[in-house]
Amino acid sequence: MATEVSDASAETEGQSRMASVWETFEENRFSYLLIMPTLVFLVLLMWIPFLRGVWMTLYEWPFGGSPTWIGLENYASLLEWKPFYTAFKATLWFSLTTAFQLLVALVAALSVREISRFTKAITGIFLLAYTVPPLVTGTIWAYLLAPDLGPFFTLLTEWGVLSETIYWGTNGSASMAVITFVTTWTFWPFMFLILSASLQNIDEELYESAQIYGANRLQTFWNVTLPHMKSAILVAVSIRLIWNLTKVSQVLQLTNGGPGYDTSVLAVLLYRFAYGRGQMGVAYTVGLVLFVVTIGFVFVFIREFEKASEEATA
Amino acid sequence: MSTGSSLGLGDVEIGDVWTRFMTYVVLTFLVMVNLVPFLFIISVSFTPPEAFFGDPSLVPANPTLEAWTKGFADLRDNLVNSAIIATGTAVISMAITIPGAYAFARKRFYGKKVGFYAIIVAMMFPYILLVIPVMDIWNSTGLYNTIPGMWIAYQIFVTPFAIWILRDFFQKLPQDLEEAAQVYGCTQFSAFVRVILPLAAPGIVAVGFLAFLTGWNDFLFSNLLTTGVGPVPAVPVLYGTIGGGSGERVYWGKLMAETLIIGAPPTVLYLFARNYLENAFAVK
Repeated sequence: MATEVSDASAETEGQSRMASVWETFEENRFSYLLIMPTLVFLVLLMWIPFLRGVWMTLYEWPFGGSPTWIGLENYASLLEWKPFYTAFKATLWFSLTTAFQLLVALVAALSVREISRFTKAITGIFLLAYTVPPLVTGTIWAYLLAPDLGPFFTLLTEWGVLSETIYWGTNGSASMAVITFVTTWTFWPFMFLILSASLQNIDEELYESAQIYGANRLQTFWNVTLPHMKSAILVAVSIRLIWNLTKVSQVLQLTNGGPGYDTSVLAVLLYRFAYGRGQMGVAYTVGLVLFVVTIGFVFVFIREFEKASEEATA
Repeated sequence: MSTGSSLGLGDVEIGDVWTRFMTYVVLTFLVMVNLVPFLFIISVSFTPPEAFFGDPSLVPANPTLEAWTKGFADLRDNLVNSAIIATGTAVISMAITIPGAYAFARKRFYGKKVGFYAIIVAMMFPYILLVIPVMDIWNSTGLYNTIPGMWIAYQIFVTPFAIWILRDFFQKLPQDLEEAAQVYGCTQFSAFVRVILPLAAPGIVAVGFLAFLTGWNDFLFSNLLTTGVGPVPAVPVLYGTIGGGSGERVYWGKLMAETLIIGAPPTVLYLFARNYLENAFAVK
């Protein structure tokens, strides 16, 4: 008897839960319809390829050919392979470009704020490098920095700054410096956009009261400007850090990942495995390493983003 | 004021003058670093091939249009491909992201927060890794080497970022617009289309531009998802032209003319879209 009752109540409970699920759906039907394309995108273009890629790492997977199951062989051979560590080290050095981008963007944003005329022309010129395809600017710098006929080294030797040109293409550290410089030059305007937007949102009154209290420029910057930019800075840094590490076109055009593997940052290594050798399984294994390296910054981003949106609504 | 660094000279302080001076120095330097490379390239593109081993100068001695005409002739088909790919990418991305961003900005529904963070995680994803399965899936579904294949693939880059920017635009609109519209007889749908969309136009222009830029500028997918027999866009044509040590003589003038030809459309579009873009990057 007792069980019967509880069964019955469970049934009605179940029904009412079903009904309430249906009700929520009915209420939000328009919203779900609106996000449907986005959801389809997330599942079809992000999650399914991502999981399929993980599965691919367990195979020897030639592009367009038939895969052979090899278990964890790809991981083992990658970890034993010396150039992998060269590539890993190169990736760490290369990530310094994010710090340089931040520095340039911060100085530029603060400087533009100081002036009242020509701001439009100046920001327009700043953004030129970011608007043009990175491979285009990579090609342009390949010419400008060409050791034999490029204007940069020709002029430096002519002016006596250098006694002879530098063949940076055959020198690992010099190649690293070149790709880091070109990447910084190309992508700092993105950070500049985010930082300028956040600077514009700082209340003028805060500066006025800082002045009343006799704060000097450095103190004002430290106590008013910087705290207000903190979220924007962390958001910009975490986006750029990850995006910088996924760029391959300029490195490929300037150094092709060489000499040897000295400038083959993980993304370029992935590209070399996929395109050069058609080894898709190994390529994705390299990609997973990059994924693990960058995942921590996603959480930094989300935390700061959350904070920024709370402040905006408060 | 008693700080040692600033001697009072009426209203103007030495510290201020110094800051002002440094500001101009810094800005001039940055403008030069950004502009001079392009000026050099413009000059080089008019330089005849035989004049390359002389002294570099900003004004070429015997300017020639050879590089430009050759560059245009070589790139013509690829530029058409680029235009089709970039336009399609922009159109599809707007169809996906406008409704999605609107719902995430202004509707309440179960699962909203989780859904939005799924988008943010997608934005922060080192997407280069997806190239591997996408190449493979595209190859087995017939999307490899096709223009629709490129349109779809570029959504991976565009969608999350576009939703991030657009959501902000929709959020900034006044709170009770939809309710007011519904009082006047609009349905949820017509309130969205006839009231909200026109007001969010600046954000939509910004996102359309960024999507076009992605489709036009990308190298990774355009090189990995097309082969010589397929619809190759303009950017990957530049890759490999330096030869990677193949020893072949490079006609830099033509190459530089090509960089300018490929770089011009996004730059021109940017000049049109820039007023809309400036508001798009506020982190909120």
